[in-house]
Amino acid sequence: MFRYFNFYALVFIIINISFLHSQSNVNPDISLIGTFNTHTNFSKDTPDKGKIIFEDPSLELFIDGYLNPYARGTADISYEEGEFRVEEIYANIVRGLPFDIQIKAGKFLLGFGKLNTVHAHAWPFLIRPLYQQIYFGPEGYNDAGINFSFLIPTTDFYTNLDLGVFKGDAIAKAEVPDISSSDIKDLRGYSPIFVGRLASFFSLSDFSNLELGLSASYGIHSYSSYYYNLYNIDYTGDASLKYFYSGLDFKYKYKPDGYTALTVQGEALLNNRDVLRANSIQQENVTNFFIKKITTPGAFIFIDYLFEKQYSIGLKYDFTYGIIGDNPDFNTLSNDDKNKTIGISGWLGYYPIEETIAVRLGVQHLIFNSINELKGENDTSVQLQLIFSLGPHKAHPF
Amino acid sequence: MKTFIIIISIILAANLNFAEIKVVATTTSIYDLVKEVGGEKVKVDYLCRGDQDPHFLEVMPSYMLKLRKADLVMEIGLDIEKWLPQLIDGSRNTDLKLIDLSANIEKKEVPTTKTDASQGDVHPYGNPHYWLDPENVKIMANEITDALTNASPGDASYFKKNLDNYLSTLDKKITAWKKEMEKLKGKPIVTFHSSWIYFAERFGLKVVGHVEPKPGIPPTPSHNAELIRIIKNSGAKIILMENYYSENAPNQISRLTGATVIKVPVEPYGMNSVNSYIQMMDYIIDQLVKNA
Repeated sequence: MFRYFNFYALVFIIINISFLHSQSNVNPDISLIGTFNTHTNFSKDTPDKGKIIFEDPSLELFIDGYLNPYARGTADISYEEGEFRVEEIYANIVRGLPFDIQIKAGKFLLGFGKLNTVHAHAWPFLIRPLYQQIYFGPEGYNDAGINFSFLIPTTDFYTNLDLGVFKGDAIAKAEVPDISSSDIKDLRGYSPIFVGRLASFFSLSDFSNLELGLSASYGIHSYSSYYYNLYNIDYTGDASLKYFYSGLDFKYKYKPDGYTALTVQGEALLNNRDVLRANSIQQENVTNFFIKKITTPGAFIFIDYLFEKQYSIGLKYDFTYGIIGDNPDFNTLSNDDKNKTIGISGWLGYYPIEETIAVRLGVQHLIFNSINELKGENDTSVQLQLIFSLGPHKAHPF
Repeated sequence: MKTFIIIISIILAANLNFAEIKVVATTTSIYDLVKEVGGEKVKVDYLCRGDQDPHFLEVMPSYMLKLRKADLVMEIGLDIEKWLPQLIDGSRNTDLKLIDLSANIEKKEVPTTKTDASQGDVHPYGNPHYWLDPENVKIMANEITDALTNASPGDASYFKKNLDNYLSTLDKKITAWKKEMEKLKGKPIVTFHSSWIYFAERFGLKVVGHVEPKPGIPPTPSHNAELIRIIKNSGAKIILMENYYSENAPNQISRLTGATVIKVPVEPYGMNSVNSYIQMMDYIIDQLVKNA
């Protein structure tokens, strides 16, 4: 019932925004991205092996415009699996502040690495990089807070420094399936986290450009008391469990004309964090925990070749600690220093008329390197995706 | 002390005299005109290269850096530079003034009904390719002169003198171009994109069709077949296209109709040896006349 209410509410919003839009030029840009996915997999262990699964279509509604001569406002509302979610909603003061600082406040995709701030429909490939799934969660590193952006006065090239402080939901989302769940929300996502990125852009020639970035994120990802309570263990003193992500990213693009482009892009993350480990392997016999410091890496690199303006072909290699597809739990995903996943994926893209319609066919092969053999066989999946874009299109950022 | 103050005043005055107006032009046509009018009093740079389609420019931080240092940014307008607001925001330049050179242009193909994507990439304020009519370039040069004069009123006479010299040269060239184009007057031509309406009307050409089925929409086999029929019926002998578009479809049509594909730059620096607006028009007209 609520699902249908959501649908009609969305239709109401779109109709009324369109009506308002027709009344005045001062209204914001509104665009709608629809995505329709079908997939199948060839994993032995799944009942869906070989079946074509039609996923429910999803959409994203973008509203964006100037609030006044100094600031812009942006909202991105998504509808996926029968639920509305506010992906992003923020104000961005773009000019007029001392030292030409830009301030972005609200909820938005955090600038850790280059790819995280790009919406998934604008990626050349179909599936989120594995290290982001593990360390950022399925929707990417997204949180509420405030970001300060500084231009560094490097004369011959562009350098930008972003520094932000955020609520902390971003880090919690990678560890628990539902951060709004009452028994964990008091302990997760309520310690502020800090995120920063230093990025430089170099014009190598008229046709080729390079961006290099360094990122870092620091904060408390959880508290030990939650787990002591969960296992009814007496404890004295609560320990905060800290994390520090450091990252490196690059993007190189060679674009000799309007019909051809070659992009090579990659990112790497090093995860340093405190994790709790039980003194017994059998959870039901846990009598105490100890804190361990772990260091685990994750990375991806891809190459995408656009030709004849309408076609693209690409290949991506992924590596991460943690097992993709595991249910988030304290000893899995970002807290896992034992198991690894390697991914190899390829794709073909067809863009008949700019970005108004895109059809993509992708294949991903996952190799699980697990200490527990029951964790699953290697997995191959094939995905077909149709994306349409209605409304004004912003120019593509590098 | 008095001598010291006089020396300092002279130095300051000298510095003020040499203070340059920093201009960023969105296209190289504007860049060329600003150079002509602004001379040594202006430092000018551009965003879109002469061999790039101005409809599509990737938003790159290096462009933001250019705008960050500028006093003025001059645009063609009419919605062709949809990428410019993102660059201006990224520049964080509070003092940057935007000059829209289309303000006093008589616009063509202004939609009279509601536009939507079913009509292709239609510009709601009119066809923006007005710089291909040299008479419109005179209006652009006047707008540039006004903007530079407002930025540096003390140099008004310098800019006016440069403007007059340029317009005098341009007038002579327009007369010569019109004379050369006499032999094409009333002749049918096909163009790739709907960008030649201002040029065609100035020189009396008749545009009978476009390679694109609708503005910005890639060629399709069914439209190519229709265009072949139009070319054969109208007797069009020329397919005129910008040098940043793919010539695959025009070449196919050419093979089946005998029409000649003429690929030209539509901006200064769009090819080697085309280093000004006048050289660009010389080249376009020379190619048309040779293949008429």
